Amino acid sequence: MSRSVREVAIVGRDADAWLAALALKRAFARTDMRIRVVELTSRLTAADVYVATPSLGGLHALLGLNSGKVLAATGGAPALGQQFADWNPGQPAFTHGYDTQRVAIEDIDFLQFWVKARSEGLRVSWDDFSLAAAAARQGRSALAPDGIEETIPVAAGFHLDARAYVDLIRRHALHLGVEVVRGAVETIRRDGERIVELKFGDGASITADLYIDASGPEAILSDPDASFTSWRGWFGANRTLTASAPALPALPGHSRIVAFEGGWAGLFPLARRTAIVAAYDSASAGDDAVLARLPQITGAPQVADATFGTIEPGVRTAWVGNRVALGGAAAVLERLDATDLHALHIGLTHLIALFPVDAEDMPEAEAFNAGIADHVNYVRDFQLTHYALNGRGEPFWRQARGVDLPPSLAARLRLFGARGLPLLTENETFQEQNWSAVLLGHGLTPAGHDPLVDRVPVDEQMGKFRGLLARIAEEVRALPPADAFRGAPR
Amino acid sequence: MNRPLEVVIVGGGTAGWMTGAALSGVLKRTQCTVRLIESDAIGTVGVGEATLPQMREFNDMVGIVESEMMRRTNATFKLGIEFRDWGFIGSSYIHPFGAHGRAMGGVAFHHLWTRANRAGHASNIEDYSYAIVASRRNRFDFPVDDVEAINSTYNYAYHFDAGLYAQYLRAFSEARGLVRTEGQVKSVALDPVTGNIASLRLESGETVGGDLFIDCSGFRGLLIDQALNGPFEDWTRWLPCDRALAVPTERAGDLTPYTRSTALEAGWQWRIPLQHRTGNGYVYSSAFISDDEAAARLMGNLDAPALAEPKPIRFRSGRRTASWTKNCIAVGLASGFLEPLESTSIYLTQVAVMTLLRNFPGARIDPALAESFNHAVDNEYDRVRDFLILHYHANTRTDSDLWRHCREMDVPDSLKEKMALFRHRGHVPQYRHGLFSPPSWLSVFLGQGVLPQAYHPMADNLPLDDVRAEMDALRDTISRRVDTMPTHAQFVRDYCEGEEPSRAGGA
Repeated sequence: MSRSVREVAIVGRDADAWLAALALKRAFARTDMRIRVVELTSRLTAADVYVATPSLGGLHALLGLNSGKVLAATGGAPALGQQFADWNPGQPAFTHGYDTQRVAIEDIDFLQFWVKARSEGLRVSWDDFSLAAAAARQGRSALAPDGIEETIPVAAGFHLDARAYVDLIRRHALHLGVEVVRGAVETIRRDGERIVELKFGDGASITADLYIDASGPEAILSDPDASFTSWRGWFGANRTLTASAPALPALPGHSRIVAFEGGWAGLFPLARRTAIVAAYDSASAGDDAVLARLPQITGAPQVADATFGTIEPGVRTAWVGNRVALGGAAAVLERLDATDLHALHIGLTHLIALFPVDAEDMPEAEAFNAGIADHVNYVRDFQLTHYALNGRGEPFWRQARGVDLPPSLAARLRLFGARGLPLLTENETFQEQNWSAVLLGHGLTPAGHDPLVDRVPVDEQMGKFRGLLARIAEEVRALPPADAFRGAPR
Repeated sequence: MNRPLEVVIVGGGTAGWMTGAALSGVLKRTQCTVRLIESDAIGTVGVGEATLPQMREFNDMVGIVESEMMRRTNATFKLGIEFRDWGFIGSSYIHPFGAHGRAMGGVAFHHLWTRANRAGHASNIEDYSYAIVASRRNRFDFPVDDVEAINSTYNYAYHFDAGLYAQYLRAFSEARGLVRTEGQVKSVALDPVTGNIASLRLESGETVGGDLFIDCSGFRGLLIDQALNGPFEDWTRWLPCDRALAVPTERAGDLTPYTRSTALEAGWQWRIPLQHRTGNGYVYSSAFISDDEAAARLMGNLDAPALAEPKPIRFRSGRRTASWTKNCIAVGLASGFLEPLESTSIYLTQVAVMTLLRNFPGARIDPALAESFNHAVDNEYDRVRDFLILHYHANTRTDSDLWRHCREMDVPDSLKEKMALFRHRGHVPQYRHGLFSPPSWLSVFLGQGVLPQAYHPMADNLPLDDVRAEMDALRDTISRRVDTMPTHAQFVRDYCEGEEPSRAGGA
């Protein structure tokens, strides 16, 4: 006999717990679904930042939030892309811009025209043809603090002050009726794979139909024996550093990710400060040495509030029995490519689509886990691409370049290297324009082009190139400055 | 400047001429020269053939004018396929080229429909599909672009004479520089070092060299199989039909804007309405019926006098594991076969041709291009395979061994999971690449008795009365709008009446 799910218990902290609570409360707003959060102590420091791709805007829409207003209210800043510097010495820095469309000429991907022109001597780099990259480099935004979004094919990503953001989401969730339960989970009573009850230290306990593990990498609701698949073999950085620097004189429209001898450091401008995140290999660079080098690497003179941590990228099976792990409890991703909230977001949209219909039997788990695995594995591939295509000479980077790649990434590099061909994938976050930006940015230029390109007369092609550059310049001029967020009221 | 690539196509028929038309119509002569070798002595399989809406993209790309093509091929329009006696005897459902209803409150329509059903308000989901209602009333008109309009919620394809279509493409291709050679291939010479095809020796004694060889020789796989021994993955364990009999009849009755597929004791019978005649056939498993019995069954089932003796066709379901091997690319039946239950034959040819264009090689073939091509083609075959198996597997028929066998057979895990999740909660698969879309899965699941035991819990956000009111309004809007459409017969007469004396005037 089936029984519907009426009680959800979310055990966790910070963005994972509160975004999950708010999303589920909103999805079942007019049903009798009860959502409770067993709130664990926050792990956020004053310096923490969440860096997110534009897809977070889609989640905000689902939550009834306006992205521009969220940024303005929490001291965040929009970013139209990420600039990568010093990953390939001798090559200029490149910007991965958040374009939402691919440009085509007569239904043929513009990339193909660029590859051909490049082989014939064109000097203009790929990211000069990206509207988002051009706008990012000129400190523009696709979003304004008053919540108005520009109707152009670029989307704003997010630099969020972590504490202020969680505070806003949490208040919103409580306002909608999410309940908070205080107490430390002492015992998890199980029946096979299923959780039956959570017992707290003070003797109290709660039961639910569905348990959400939003406790981050500790994954406290997961069966301790359940295997965690580590990606340590691919991602050599095992230390992280988080810090703050003063706000920049004018807000740039992008993040800046700089490679150094033992890892990378990212600069994420916010309205009233600049967040810094670094990931590095402790064998190549000690904590104090990295901290001391930061001003030089990032160009930020005064670095404060530094904290250090460890990181081990990898995944675990997200849905087992009546327990679903979301965010960091399901997948620990490197902090490259603005994916801080991504595992959570993917988990939430999948959970809402496949929300269990029967409290006693949840065969949805299999489809859910397969979808999540695709997404996180392709994100892993995307992040790994930066390492695989790096051109640096230090031992850390030489080793990163030499590792055996996952077959999906190896195939992707082959296909792109031959003709800029996409790998056909289902359930993938980053789109072809994202891949092109990163692959070309790191110097993987296709050996040949699509013969259909030659259907378009050469002078027409040249005209399109000039027209595209002129249009980008014009569209960039019409965009509001990212700096508008600096003066935004708190 | 590199010299143009010399492309040799072996075999005419639909696959050969679609490849020829695309290469000669789209690429420049400085990029490739195209030669097609075919023999009038070798028959092609094409009879009346049904297509999918994607066909229009191919025609547009190549530069074919729809009304002219339809006139030349005695074509009619197609809004879907009616399945009779599939699932259980007496059943009838239509797999439409279009949606069922509209989502409300972020929830797919069928969840709301299921909820209303379970609350005691039963209705037929077909009443909420514009394409199905138009089909049931034998109406046709073009869909409109305005996405708000109810008559934008469908798509269409064609029924045509595949032999005439090939002829049409031949004239088109030859006008664009394709050279046709009448003749048969006697032997194939391989390069001893690379294993590539070096040249073909024809019966006439002529030797034909080339850079790239396209095998469109049909089931025989003259190059890919006989010369290169490309392995074949057999799917007969899931798709037991291995023979067909095809026979044309005079036009009779209303001109239906849909294909009909009627399940029989050992397979199924097709009915494809053309302007001047009707294509019929019986696809069956030789393990469950003899050829003579099958022929008698087919001839007894026809709704009009036969115009010829039934023509036998033999096949084996499955696909070539690498359609692109060395410098040879198999297209059409040489690359694999899936029975025409869902009209995927020309679609699979089209996918191969369009994928080939995107991956068209230079003089030295980069293996990544073949890898990319094979990956794309494999994905399409796999997707279609599972969908076809569903038709056979989801049945409660007790009248014959074939249906018992299919119900009890072990199906691929990928299909098992889809069926289980639909039963459990009405979840419909959706993907970015390959057939079929959610409305297709939904129509076959429901039509064959795979019913959801629950609906998405978010459907409970909406008051039931509001849901019912919206559903009623939608049903009425569809019904009223369909009644203003011309009949299919009238539309065909006005738009693309063929050169042969038309008998499309029945309705």
